[in-house]
Amino acid sequence: MSEASSLQTGSQMRLYGCPTCGRVSQLLHAVPDGTFLQCPRCATPLYHERPRSLQRTWAYLIAATVLYIPANLLPIMSTSNVFGETLHTILGGIEELRTGGDWLLAVIVFIASIAVPLLKIGALLVLVITAQRRSRWKQVERAQLYRMIEAVGHWSMLDVFVVVLLVGTIRFGPLGGVMPQPGLLAFGAVVVLTMLAAGSFDPRLIWPEEKDDTRHP
Amino acid sequence: MTDPVPSAHAHAPYAPAAARATGTAVALAARPDLVVCHECDAVHERITLARGTVARCRRCNALLGRGHVLGTEKLLAFAIASLLLIIVGNSAPIVTLDFQGVVSQATLPEAIEATWAAGQPLVAVLTAATALVFPLVFTILRLYLLGSLVRGIVPRGFVPAMHMLHFVTRWGMVEVFLLGTLVAVVRCASLTSATPGIGLFAYGAVTLLITAITAAGTHTLWKRSSEIGGTA
Repeated sequence: MSEASSLQTGSQMRLYGCPTCGRVSQLLHAVPDGTFLQCPRCATPLYHERPRSLQRTWAYLIAATVLYIPANLLPIMSTSNVFGETLHTILGGIEELRTGGDWLLAVIVFIASIAVPLLKIGALLVLVITAQRRSRWKQVERAQLYRMIEAVGHWSMLDVFVVVLLVGTIRFGPLGGVMPQPGLLAFGAVVVLTMLAAGSFDPRLIWPEEKDDTRHP
Repeated sequence: MTDPVPSAHAHAPYAPAAARATGTAVALAARPDLVVCHECDAVHERITLARGTVARCRRCNALLGRGHVLGTEKLLAFAIASLLLIIVGNSAPIVTLDFQGVVSQATLPEAIEATWAAGQPLVAVLTAATALVFPLVFTILRLYLLGSLVRGIVPRGFVPAMHMLHFVTRWGMVEVFLLGTLVAVVRCASLTSATPGIGLFAYGAVTLLITAITAAGTHTLWKRSSEIGGTA
């Protein structure tokens, strides 16, 4: 390895760390390429590179990007009172919080609903493209980026929960009510799809081996 | 890379890893003296961590392990408290509204039901799963696993239960739901008089407990079961 000469990797030493239970297994003899291995303790399949990781990530990522458009353009909820019905989009809701004087909440909802999904899609694009090129550019920072995406991913579900609670609480018949709208489903789908995309990405792809093909000895 | 046939490994989860391609047994020896970074594949020597310290990968800085502050008994106590508070959190109202004398309040199950009835069943299912079912299953699984392990027994279905625990840990979102309740209360308060309910406080406590339990990880459970079961 370039950064530390003493550093060895699992694929060089025929070692497999189980992603589920953490058991470290050592392959004692060479096996044919493509042999299917499982953790002896918990039966999780063991790989040095998860199969079709990049294809899966691309698929979820593209689906998330496509749904991001209706999620932001369609109304996520409607409010009604004696004067009629009003439709609300995500951005509209943030604007209402801001004009209502709740600056802090407006900022929190903006970060959770607009900034996080957008940054996630952008960051995943960077990760997937650099991994595809087997790039060695800023590896530690990219590993950090991957961990950040994993950590913040589910916070975008915030607006879904808020609308569900408003629908359940504001029920005054003709005087006032809240209904969920199709944009909310698209938004929830974006959150789930970006989480699936991040979960499909194998972070070991950030650290390609010097030799191109070191799957099994 | 290989394409695993789904049924090929279903029959013998405890058997040494099967070599499906060749049909011969493959020897996978345990190396408890080593740690392989799950994020960059770098190999490290395993060290014992003092309470409250963490180990990070020296190549990619990923978290490799924690020296735990919470023992199994404490974790079990947390899980019991969490179960009781989830029950309270779902039967007590999250927020109560008073609109010119008309009072309206909702628990989480009622809000989910209202969303379903309002024509968004998928959103209702998504909310029910991430805010209610997964945290509940998380707590019940922890109770089931720890309840046996502290008595020196490996419970039935330990491995599938652990796999399920991994799934619900990843997809449970109590902390996000808690922030959602706070935003909802503030938005209601801008329309009419709103009071946070017992359900909100209960969910606040559940969030703290589940966060503490999650931070403790699953390594202790695997280790205890291996010690009891005598396998590596």
